[in-house]
Amino acid sequence: MKRRHFFKTSTLASGGFLISAYLPFSCNEQVLETESWEPNFYVRIDPDNTITFICSRTELGQGTSVGLAMIVADELGMDFENLKTEFADGAIERYGDLQDTGGSNGLRMLWEPLRKAIATAREIFIVAAAQKWQLDPSDCFSENGFVYHNSSERKASYASLITLAKDLPAPFDIKLKDPSDYKYIGKRLIGERTRIIAEGKNPYSINVKLPNMLYAAVARCPTWNGNLIDFDDSKARSFPGVVDVIEVTAVEIQPDDFKGGVRSGVAVLASNTWAALEAKKLLEIQWDLGNLSRKSDTDVKEELLAQLEEPRTVTPEKRDIHNLFNRYSKGHEATYFSAYQTTTCMEPLNATAYHMGHKIEIWVGSQAPGMFRERISELTGLPEAAITIHNLPSGGGFGRRFHADYVEEAVLISEKVRKPVKLTWSREDTITTSKYHPYCVDHWEAAFNPTGEVMAIAYKGTIGSTNAYRPNPYALPMVHYNYVAEKGDRLLPRASWRSVFAHPWALGLECFIDELAHLAKKDPIAYRIELLDKAEVVEQVMEPWVGDNLYPKKLKETLEIVREKSNWGQVSEGIFQGVSGISYNTSYCSQVIDLSVEDGKVKVHKVTAVLNCGRVINPSQVESQIAGGIIWGLSAALKTQLTVVDGQVQQTNFDSYDLLRMNETPEIEVHLVDSNDEPSGAGEPGVPGVAPALLNAIFAATGERIRQIPIVKSSTYSIA
Amino acid sequence: MELNVNNQKYSFEAEENMPLLWVLRDLLELTGTKYSCGIGQCGACTVLVNGQAARSCSIPVSAALDKNITTIEDSNSNSLLQALKDSWIQNDTPQCGYCQSGQIMNALALLSQNPNPTDEEIKMGMRGNICRCGTYPRIKKSIEQVIETNSKL
Ligand code: FES
Ligand code: FES
Repeated sequence: MKRRHFFKTSTLASGGFLISAYLPFSCNEQVLETESWEPNFYVRIDPDNTITFICSRTELGQGTSVGLAMIVADELGMDFENLKTEFADGAIERYGDLQDTGGSNGLRMLWEPLRKAIATAREIFIVAAAQKWQLDPSDCFSENGFVYHNSSERKASYASLITLAKDLPAPFDIKLKDPSDYKYIGKRLIGERTRIIAEGKNPYSINVKLPNMLYAAVARCPTWNGNLIDFDDSKARSFPGVVDVIEVTAVEIQPDDFKGGVRSGVAVLASNTWAALEAKKLLEIQWDLGNLSRKSDTDVKEELLAQLEEPRTVTPEKRDIHNLFNRYSKGHEATYFSAYQTTTCMEPLNATAYHMGHKIEIWVGSQAPGMFRERISELTGLPEAAITIHNLPSGGGFGRRFHADYVEEAVLISEKVRKPVKLTWSREDTITTSKYHPYCVDHWEAAFNPTGEVMAIAYKGTIGSTNAYRPNPYALPMVHYNYVAEKGDRLLPRASWRSVFAHPWALGLECFIDELAHLAKKDPIAYRIELLDKAEVVEQVMEPWVGDNLYPKKLKETLEIVREKSNWGQVSEGIFQGVSGISYNTSYCSQVIDLSVEDGKVKVHKVTAVLNCGRVINPSQVESQIAGGIIWGLSAALKTQLTVVDGQVQQTNFDSYDLLRMNETPEIEVHLVDSNDEPSGAGEPGVPGVAPALLNAIFAATGERIRQIPIVKSSTYSIA
Repeated sequence: MELNVNNQKYSFEAEENMPLLWVLRDLLELTGTKYSCGIGQCGACTVLVNGQAARSCSIPVSAALDKNITTIEDSNSNSLLQALKDSWIQNDTPQCGYCQSGQIMNALALLSQNPNPTDEEIKMGMRGNICRCGTYPRIKKSIEQVIETNSKL
């Protein structure tokens, strides 16, 4: 989907609602406003002077709405407790791609525009008050939703200034708050949402209930490109509470993009969720499973490995390094494997849609409500203006709620029955008929000079594409050879999964570097630091988030800190350590894992992580994100995997896709680097370094290089 | 049918074998209790039935009719449940929050039966509750804080 440019903040009056002539605060100038006003897309002033931050990003648990609200409170100079937060409906015309929640870049992308927008709003009220009092704006200041005169008792609420402010041009010369004046940024603040969650009252979309709403469940074709032949719904229809059973016509699935697409299926509509889910099991369906019914994950593995053997091709700009690489002898190579995974957000995918013929209203937790709206418009032929997407907080997203399939289904079903429909995916649906983190096979090779020094490394594998390279922070010249991919239909359609391709990339690079350190007979941390010391700033060429450059020195610093914090090399007997250091966009994260291996049973005792994510807005949330990312990484490195036989995923629920649990969770220690750089992300950077640190630690313990995750896939190891 | 939830009587019509979870969520609109796996594997739907932790997705409503059900919505301000909620807030424990009703209710049952569990007992007692966001360290800390406060009383 095409990404649009961000539209400049501008004045926009929102639809007004009347309030009684009452102000809940003392105000010496009682000018009553009857309409709310949005000086820009991020803030609204209500007639009672309630100030609301309109959060364009989705709250998935990563805490972005709290971090952003802290920035708003600081820039506006108001008490954090008094600032309300609300989530924006999907609107590309308002937010452009600043509404897409992904790539751990909420704070990074909004840091600048949000502060500017808020400062503009603040200034406009100061100018309005100054005009009203016939004073110079520089003699006035603003705090807590009021404008004050420096040297008199004069005071006016923002609400009382709306009429004046509305007609003012947006001020140009905006002065942003000096960081030394921040009251909240950098503090461990706990957002209102935490209390709401503890009371069980967070308004997830799965809780939506509308008058006349039907509850839907869909039986989808087990292969993603197969088709319905016929179905018998007599048993399903006789299940108490079932209202209707209808066919869901497939919408072409693009196995590699965000649009979604819909699998061929049958929908059961009922008076409650349980009836829909149960009756679905009673459907007797004949599927044409199509070409993928003859393909399994073992075929994919074979095909990819065969492609790795094929002659290497290289793009012209990599020809020089290719030649350099070929000048030296090849001393070491390794191939790394990582399994198919699925996100399994704890809140199963769900959406409520009401197709009214001329307009559509949708309630959903989405990571890209603006793009979803564009997509629903494309799908239904209704203009975007006729489509409203209410974006609600999600019970996890991790990339999966970037893909619109679950909303497309709800809309198509509602279109047929012309009633509000809440579609809930069962847990089995989210595992067996979803979209997935791909199976990856990646080959790394090093070229040495006669004295055994590494002169260049080469990568060939499943990550990236011919012109989108992943970054390598080390000073080693690197060739990216041709991209290896399944020919024809992919076995499984792809979805984003927390840290996406950074995960297999780090697995390969950080294990391979470790192997090179071992060959050079050097300490793995010292070896990395030595390389990083020589490295220049690397230009980021990875798409789509062409961001900041890559700073090897920042990675080096996190390695130095983790060496100290983890007591590297000084652990008790029987404990072995492994290290990794990764960059994710503009964040850097190094980790050391302490583990023991006894009779093939691996027990992880401790993970020490050091993160540089620029300026830390809320340390409590950043630490929590990194710990969560590590636990996510441990699930994938130790335990979970999807296997696919005849085009069908074999795992069905948490019994066969068994995530890390509390008794398997090691001690986790997170340290944050003090930095005044622009903030970057924390949601994903904890994930990619886990698998390599784990495998490197297993090597330290056993002398054996495992090159695949999860480790349970190898016959030798299990989890203690 | 009639259910006693959080010391309040609720009347409704439902199939006998409808799981308690869906009666709470869809019929009584007590949506604090969550669906996530439906087969007793994740703990998101945990409620107390006569003081014992139960996976509400896996008990038919007919088996709960004459029992006392406690859910996350219970708001007795002096209770152990309230202490747990407060501790969860102080430790900024939830991320997405979806698993947390179940985590808190499971912790409530754990501490009701064993006010002073060991580290291992907490871990094993909570292992039936999955958190995909990975908040286990803070859940554990929140529980430990309640134990500590209670032991000082
Ligand atoms: S929903 Fe009941 S245990 Fe998972
Ligand atoms: S807080 Fe998200 S699943 Fe536990």
